Amino acid sequence: MFRILLRKFLEVFIFLLFIMFVSFLFIRLAPGDPVLTILNVDELSVSQEQVEAVREEMGFNDSLPVQFGNWLLDFVRLDFGVSYSTGQPVMQTLMRALPATAELTIGALLVMLVIAIPLGSLSALHRGSWIDRGSRMLSIVGAAVPSFWLGLILIDMFGVRFGNLPTMGRDGFTSLILPSLTLGLAISSVYVRLLRSSLLDSLSQEFVRSARARGVSEGRIFMLHAFRHSLPPVITVFGVSLGSLIGGVVVIEVLFAYPGIGKLVVDAIRQRDYPLIQGYILIMAVVVFLVNTAVDLSYRYLNPEMKLKEKEAHR
Amino acid sequence: MKTIPLPIPTAKSKKHSWQAIIGLLFALLVIGASLYAFLYLKHDHTLTDLRGRLQGASALHPFGTDHLGRDVMTRLLLGGGQTLGYSLLALGAALLIGIPFGLIAGYKRGWVDKLFMRIADAFLAFPDTIVAIVLSGLLGAGIGNLVLAIVIVKWVSYARLVRSTVLSESQKDYIRIARTNGLSDGRIMRKHLLPHIAGHVLVLASLDLGKIILLISSLSYIGLGAQPPTPEWGAMLNDSRPYFQSRPELMIYPGLAIVSVVLLANMLGDYLRDRFDVKKEVQP
Amino acid sequence: MILSIEELSISSRDRTIVDQVSLAVREGEFMALVGQSGSGKSLLSQAIGRLLPPNLHASGRVMFEGSNLLERKPKEMRALRGCHISYIFQDYQGAFTPFRSIGGHFDEYQKVHGEKSSAIRKKRAEEALESVGLGAELLRRYPFQLSGGQLQRASIATSLMLSPRLLIADEATTALDSVSGHRVLELLARKQAETGCAILFITHDWRHVRRYASRLAVMKEGQIVESGGKHRILDHPQHEYTRQLIEAAPVLNRSLKSGLKEAGTE
Repeated sequence: MFRILLRKFLEVFIFLLFIMFVSFLFIRLAPGDPVLTILNVDELSVSQEQVEAVREEMGFNDSLPVQFGNWLLDFVRLDFGVSYSTGQPVMQTLMRALPATAELTIGALLVMLVIAIPLGSLSALHRGSWIDRGSRMLSIVGAAVPSFWLGLILIDMFGVRFGNLPTMGRDGFTSLILPSLTLGLAISSVYVRLLRSSLLDSLSQEFVRSARARGVSEGRIFMLHAFRHSLPPVITVFGVSLGSLIGGVVVIEVLFAYPGIGKLVVDAIRQRDYPLIQGYILIMAVVVFLVNTAVDLSYRYLNPEMKLKEKEAHR
Repeated sequence: MKTIPLPIPTAKSKKHSWQAIIGLLFALLVIGASLYAFLYLKHDHTLTDLRGRLQGASALHPFGTDHLGRDVMTRLLLGGGQTLGYSLLALGAALLIGIPFGLIAGYKRGWVDKLFMRIADAFLAFPDTIVAIVLSGLLGAGIGNLVLAIVIVKWVSYARLVRSTVLSESQKDYIRIARTNGLSDGRIMRKHLLPHIAGHVLVLASLDLGKIILLISSLSYIGLGAQPPTPEWGAMLNDSRPYFQSRPELMIYPGLAIVSVVLLANMLGDYLRDRFDVKKEVQP
Repeated sequence: MILSIEELSISSRDRTIVDQVSLAVREGEFMALVGQSGSGKSLLSQAIGRLLPPNLHASGRVMFEGSNLLERKPKEMRALRGCHISYIFQDYQGAFTPFRSIGGHFDEYQKVHGEKSSAIRKKRAEEALESVGLGAELLRRYPFQLSGGQLQRASIATSLMLSPRLLIADEATTALDSVSGHRVLELLARKQAETGCAILFITHDWRHVRRYASRLAVMKEGQIVESGGKHRILDHPQHEYTRQLIEAAPVLNRSLKSGLKEAGTE
């Protein structure tokens, strides 16, 4: 199993390297003088000497191979440079913003679980009832609603008209409510339908009837047999839709001005702050890798067949 | 092994017919609206009129005006063309690239297939949003880059779908007979395999359409997609933000437009999926 | 009379599938219910344990140990199932939940029926496996690791573990080859001799049970057309359908259909 992990890590790493290289090229060859970009951000009117000085300092005058060599060296030393806009080391800036993004993501996932598990389960258990039909209709409509629009509506309703939940920034627990709610609602539609169909499939399996014929209670059957059996497809979809989740986090952070790395990178893009963008890419690659690994590990846990077949293959 | 099937009354047949109608309606609506906007609208959507800004509904402006005095209805209708147009563009390009790749990889096998799988795995490692952000970051924000990003990410899933369908079809007799009769590979792929994969691909594409629309409008909202003064719905929502106290409709209309279009696209996709009876392999 | 089905009807919203069926199973006897697919025999057996799918409705009386099962509360039914009334189904693979160990299943069934001591549970599980000729090490394995034959026997072991008074075998040998099928029947007969349980054996082929059954009932399109002692029915069928059923399944040797030797031979 270790070998598979290692191989996956290498794949991601190589792709990452490739992206970094491409971005390196772009910085050097892209339209617009990066030096002017750097200085522009400071909103100073600069003289020609200053421009030249910065150009020399940042190594833009060296030949391309030399620049690339330096860049590689920096990369290996995990030195990702300094942000063009803030002047702070990139990794530091990103790391400081990371907890906010983590909070938001966890909050959204919690909201999603609280919505999807009950609705999906009830829909499957009471197929055809009004709960089932209602939740299915809700999830069909919900899947069409853009998260940022939902956010705007929620802001209008609970931030301005009917309440005063904080709608900007990160200032204690309450400011987490609206963003998490928005994102959680947005992603839950898919999972409600998915859980429902996966459960319906599990509940029709023969082993459920066998357990019932042995006197096992419905509750126990549902939780320990059927529900667990329904998890793999749901987890698969989660792994695949990681992209939308990340995108959703970015949009929500911008909408609510929540100071996470999503907002950071969008600002960086507007300001052409390449080192920061590069740092973001790196972090995301690690995140994607970690999540995919976790998904794989969960398969192994949920399905002993895979775990044992692996072991036997290695003996 | 199932012994007792549950005889659930078939509401499915009813669902089929009205979903089909909705899908058709959707197509007609889109085409109609875009044509209408193109041919008949009196207002230039970029014409700003700062004295007439933020007006409510009136005879001249059925949906009112936005913060720069532009007619909202015009912008809404044209925005539909924008949003939908770019989404279809992205989808089309992804199909154009993905289908041939999948066909060749699945049919020829060998090193072409192995190479393709490696490339596909590498591309799949990155989620679409990240790539969109990265490309925006490198090339500058703009709708063209957004479409490019979407194409880069999406083509892989179509290629894989085509490949797996081709793999299973190749085992069947009609392909073997075609081969032994001397038909060229190209001809087999075009005339025999293509029709079979069309169904699967269509289902996946229509399910993706809604997602792509949402992606384009989301990223346009945060400024990484369509740039002003393009009347794209996501961008319009961004413009409406400072004014939603006084003119909430500026926020409601584009949002409703997005929801309706995506909803119709999804229903079309669901209908197609039911009709072609394709199961979990097509799940996004 | 351990089980007495009285005027049982099972119907869906549109039609009646089982129509006013009456059937009795005596203590310790091997009763065979024979009928073609679609005759309703499986539904009948499921109705006894209240295992019908939710869209089917049962009416009538199913008397077991003095009370009407159709009127008992769900909790009481659960206590009965697996403990007093046990089932064996056609699909042996489906008897076990894929991600749980065999031992986990034995353990769960005992826990659900009130056995609190884990030591006793373990011991009983081992004994149950041994009684069907399997080793105790299988308890740690998962269903996918067992062969078909092992699964059959393990699933029978779970059904018999708590010494039920009535065992309902629904097409238990249908999916097996003749040799395995006979082995299963041998096992069941032996268990019956050991524990004195009654067996209601449901099948579409009377040849499976002619050696073991003492009484037969023939079912056609939701109704019992004939029932009685094995010898009487097989050798002297009264109903046309029974006759057809017997004709359709010729026996190889020269004895009577019920297994008795014909008078005058040998």
